[in-house]
Amino acid sequence: MVTRTTQEESKRSLVSPPVAAGASVVLPGLGQLLARKLWRGVLILGSVISVLGLLAWRIDALARREPTAMAKLARAFERRPVFVGLMIGATVFLWLLNALDAYRLAHPEHRGVFWVFLLILVLFFTLGWQISEIDMRKAVTELPDTWPLFSRVMWPWEAAVTRRTETVSARAPIQSPCAEDPPEPPERTSGEPYLRAEPTCGDLSELDENNDIIPGTTLTLIGENFEPSTETQIWWEDPIGNEFRIRQEGEYVTVMTDDAGSFQLEVRMPYRLLPPSAEGPQVHYVEARQVSDVGPPIPAEPLLLSIERMIETIFLGMMATFFGIIFAVPISFLAARNLMSGTWFSMGIYYVTRGVMNIVRSIEPLIWVTIAVQWVGLGPFPGIIALTIHTIAALGKLYSEAIEGIDPGPIEAIQATGATRLQTIAFAVVPQMIPPFVSFSIYRWDINVRMSTVVGLVGGGGIGFILIQYIRLLNFRAAGIAVWFIAITVAILDYVSAEIRERFV
Amino acid sequence: MLEVKNLTKIYDDGTVALRDVSFTVEEGDFLIIIGLSGSGKSTLLRCINRLIEPTEGQILWNGEDITAADGKKLRRIRRRIGMVFQHFNLVRRSTVMENVLGGRLGYVRQWPSVLRQFPKQDRQKARAALERLGIADQAHKRADELSGGQQQRVGIARALMQDPEMILADEPVASLDPVLAHSILNRLEELNRQEDMTILCSLHYLDLIQEYASRVIGLRAGEIVYRGSREQIRAMTDEEFKDIYGEEAVRVSAGPGEGGLS
Repeated sequence: MVTRTTQEESKRSLVSPPVAAGASVVLPGLGQLLARKLWRGVLILGSVISVLGLLAWRIDALARREPTAMAKLARAFERRPVFVGLMIGATVFLWLLNALDAYRLAHPEHRGVFWVFLLILVLFFTLGWQISEIDMRKAVTELPDTWPLFSRVMWPWEAAVTRRTETVSARAPIQSPCAEDPPEPPERTSGEPYLRAEPTCGDLSELDENNDIIPGTTLTLIGENFEPSTETQIWWEDPIGNEFRIRQEGEYVTVMTDDAGSFQLEVRMPYRLLPPSAEGPQVHYVEARQVSDVGPPIPAEPLLLSIERMIETIFLGMMATFFGIIFAVPISFLAARNLMSGTWFSMGIYYVTRGVMNIVRSIEPLIWVTIAVQWVGLGPFPGIIALTIHTIAALGKLYSEAIEGIDPGPIEAIQATGATRLQTIAFAVVPQMIPPFVSFSIYRWDINVRMSTVVGLVGGGGIGFILIQYIRLLNFRAAGIAVWFIAITVAILDYVSAEIRERFV
Repeated sequence: MLEVKNLTKIYDDGTVALRDVSFTVEEGDFLIIIGLSGSGKSTLLRCINRLIEPTEGQILWNGEDITAADGKKLRRIRRRIGMVFQHFNLVRRSTVMENVLGGRLGYVRQWPSVLRQFPKQDRQKARAALERLGIADQAHKRADELSGGQQQRVGIARALMQDPEMILADEPVASLDPVLAHSILNRLEELNRQEDMTILCSLHYLDLIQEYASRVIGLRAGEIVYRGSREQIRAMTDEEFKDIYGEEAVRVSAGPGEGGLS
């Protein structure tokens, strides 16, 4: 107790309370400094300077174009009144609170104002909110937009199965523009679906100079002998083989056949796609198609591809772990302090090994993949290389720590029984090393499979490779299938590896 | 008979652990070495089976020069000297049985033993040793599942597997409950009495020393500062004890029934 009193006496303020408060008004933190609260003073001064600096930067960013500081402030306030107002108000308040803090610290009672630090925290939080562009309103109002994507990813299984399709179709030639010899309607073959167009020639739709549509000739299509009561699509094929479905008023043209399998409808000839250089009469075709699913459901391409790539991914992770272990074991001996502390030369090797491993480990596998892709091209192989490199560094460190951690006692005890060096290693060293080695290796395998789902994003093969492609094609159902496979595999692996490690250690 | 002549150990960092230590141990002695931590007790015991290489001096055992032995010859000497440690030094993750069989390594062929293949009679011997120490039912547990006292008994069983003529015990009871100290030392005394085994043991508690020692040497800063017979140690006063252990030493009791000054 005695020493404590003297300590407190030695901490007594150098100046009177009003002087301390005044000093802090001039320079925040100075009063605290004079009251012998060095760190408090430095912290307050540092906070005030950073808050002012950051605030100036944000105001400038909000009003880049304004020439003067006042104009910038006015413009920034106009754009973000809550942020700018709150910040300026709180900063002024902080300044005053800081003076009060200094006053009270200089007082013999020596108790500062706790609220200063809370206020500093609030200021930084407000700045952080603005700098990181958090927009809660947007997050809430635009949430429904994610639903189509989210629902497809969460339940993608509609895209997982498909059925074989069978097409029933018939076509009729159309000449455009009309010439002297319009084509004859196709001949009727009994039992076969039949399509006839009237007239058999006409003009395609075109755009005039004001980009208004000049509608083409209206054709009457008569179909017979189709599947009864089935939806029928109308297609168009131009002379160079482009096929497309005819749209009218933005919708695909479809028609239902009647009970006898016949239909009749009118369509306008579609917009001209041929270049103006293709002059003279050309023969187009109009076609009626009935597409129907037949046979049992079969796995769709995204499902098959996901399974294939998932297998590839698991093996990618396995191979990387395997190679990683092979290299990491010898390297770990070089990185074990207890084995390398003999001479300055071996210590040198120890430091170099440790240093290189730390650098390699601190570079993310994604970056290693990018490098390896440059080296050996796209596919799983660069993924294996990248993960192997990272695994060597990570396992090397873990292994070497396991070696450093072995208990010298059993070694001594086995030596004392008259055992040979080999027997000593087999009885006293290996039993101590195997559990951590196995445990770390399995843990790493787990990490590598998880990582190998990601390396594909940058070209390293595996399921990530197709996942990123499906996302870019906006094929969210297929992407969802890949995501599901990743989730299931990682969960299983997590469980299995934890289970194995528990048994071993 | 073990003869230690002018034994000196200086560590690489310049620490002098032992300085010109000489003494003799007769067959069947229960020699207790006393002294503060760092006085050189552990170094002395480890120099005898060459776990630590002495800097100077000679150790003769039944006429054989331990300090000059090498390779195979050293291993043949070591296998007849059992050793028991303060922290038991068991392979914690191996089974009790495997730990005990470890004591046989100096006798069996190298390659089969590395693959954990031991002759049948060695396994029987191990079971007998565990039986004798009252822990036969623990044979298939992992060593670290046992209590401290049980672990030390495994340590003794391992030493017995060597068919030792001498046992070195480095503070065998220092990390055990004082109540267990007697149980462990009783085992060692039994071996000493019944099988005429020579025992070198370092110990701290005066009452234990007085009960078990047939002879005592005291070390301070690597030098022998006290030599006493059984009678002399029984008559030892606190003043003499403090001479060895320094003024700060306070005698503590190591178990029930033994009187102790505070």
